[in-house]
Amino acid sequence: MTEQAQQMIEHVIYVIRKPGIEIDETTPLVSSGLVDSMALVDLLLKLEELTKMRIPPGKVQPKDMDTVTLMFATAQRVGRPRK
Amino acid sequence: MLLTGLLYGAALLILLLVFAKMRSFRVRQAVLLVASYALYLTWGVWFGAVLLVSTVMNFLVGRWLKRQPTAAVLWAGLAFNLALLAVFKYIPGIAVSIPVATLQKFSHLALPLGISFWTFQAMSYLLDLYRGEELDPSFVEFALYMAFFPVTISGPICRMPEMLPQFRSEKSVSRHDIGRGLCRVATGVLMMQLAQLLGKGILGGEGINGGFDHLTRWSGLDVWCLTFGYGLQLFFDFAGYSHVAIGAAQMLGFTVPENFARPFASTTPSIFWTRWHMSLSFWIRDYVFLPLAVLRREVWWRNLALIISMVIFALWHKGSILFILWGSYQGILLVLHRQWQALQHRLKWEPPAAIWTPISWLATITLISAGWILFRANSLPQATQMLAAVASPASYADHALPRSLYLLVASLAIAYAAVLFVINSLNRYAERLRTRSEILEVMVRERWVWVAPMWAAASLLVVIMMERQSGAANVFMYRFF
Repeated sequence: MTEQAQQMIEHVIYVIRKPGIEIDETTPLVSSGLVDSMALVDLLLKLEELTKMRIPPGKVQPKDMDTVTLMFATAQRVGRPRK
Repeated sequence: MLLTGLLYGAALLILLLVFAKMRSFRVRQAVLLVASYALYLTWGVWFGAVLLVSTVMNFLVGRWLKRQPTAAVLWAGLAFNLALLAVFKYIPGIAVSIPVATLQKFSHLALPLGISFWTFQAMSYLLDLYRGEELDPSFVEFALYMAFFPVTISGPICRMPEMLPQFRSEKSVSRHDIGRGLCRVATGVLMMQLAQLLGKGILGGEGINGGFDHLTRWSGLDVWCLTFGYGLQLFFDFAGYSHVAIGAAQMLGFTVPENFARPFASTTPSIFWTRWHMSLSFWIRDYVFLPLAVLRREVWWRNLALIISMVIFALWHKGSILFILWGSYQGILLVLHRQWQALQHRLKWEPPAAIWTPISWLATITLISAGWILFRANSLPQATQMLAAVASPASYADHALPRSLYLLVASLAIAYAAVLFVINSLNRYAERLRTRSEILEVMVRERWVWVAPMWAAASLLVVIMMERQSGAANVFMYRFF
């Protein structure tokens, strides 16, 4: 697991606010209802911060953010280097 | 309405036969498209023409977008769809209330059935293409996506990535799908009949419709009965229709999105809005809220994006001040709930679930129900008067609505909760009793065989009850959105 993925998992746990929850890179987050719309925005902004990329609005859907692995794949696919 | 129902039933039977005999997906697509258009044209030839124009335009813009996936092309496509909605849905409404000569030409335009649903499907297709989704529908497939008869009139709102592989499937129709689909159709018909019953009332008394349309003074109790009853009526009507649509599609082997997931069991407003009209609320989340919310990093902006999204959600239904207020109210509720969660987190306050969950459920249902006043009231002064009655303790001493309506609303709410309990128990039994009793297992597994006729008999009973009522009933309320 990369350091970025580990940081993202920690952030997901912080955002979910459920004591004792265990998350890994493949845990479904949106489809399982663990992450709601507002938390999704948090995760998207965190993803931009960690990858140092700008993710254009309209290029990402919740299904692209369902797992930590998918989040980084999405950033690779649609992210643009920050100016 | 009966004739239309028979027509749809006959079409479904013919399609089932065709699907059973023909495996070629191209033949199936062609037959399904012809049947879908034939059924849609029964509502009006003009409606079919508008749907066809929208289909051709969106297909062409889609092709353009695939070659040139730029924001400008996307916006051109979205502008076309929004203009179409404006011309048929919003401008006629504005023309009625604003006496401007140029607007009057639009005031008599009939609203093509399901325009809000299939226009949103078209926009999601363009947005998905812009997002880079690999979609390559032929014209027939795209036309079918727009006109697919179980969902054209009132959804659920489908998405191309989920529908395209199904349109190309050559799998045979299974007995299980037909059974489950039939069961859902029967459930939906019963729910829609119950919605009409709520609208009309029983025992010669007024129903929800009369309570909103004929009364001029309400007590606080009356308003709560009407608003909670209206929520129930709307749910039975629209969730019932969704059952019919999903069931009809399932009988042909298609899976379309769910639209309701026990919304009255929600314990927070956020949960409620992931369970009520889900295909629209997820559409708004994916294509409006998320792109809007990430434009700025500040929390206030995220909250504002949520309120704007809920206003757009409301405006999808109708362009009026009351709907703008309803959307803003629901948006503010969601934001306040978020703030409350943040406060709880900051204070590290975790109340015991056994006490907190019922309180949270009651607060959610009460607040959501209060919102229906804005959704259903005939005018702003009426909504103001009803809200004033709710806020006035003195008004609770009396009631103007007939007792029969209080009885009806309470009975249906309790009956619905009881049915949910029974269904849950059946599902649990279905998992547990696999090896114990063969008869029971068959009854549970093949429950559509007896559930569907039972619901049909119950529907008939409701129809007989309504025959005795003189009040008007709304026939499928979401047809007008």
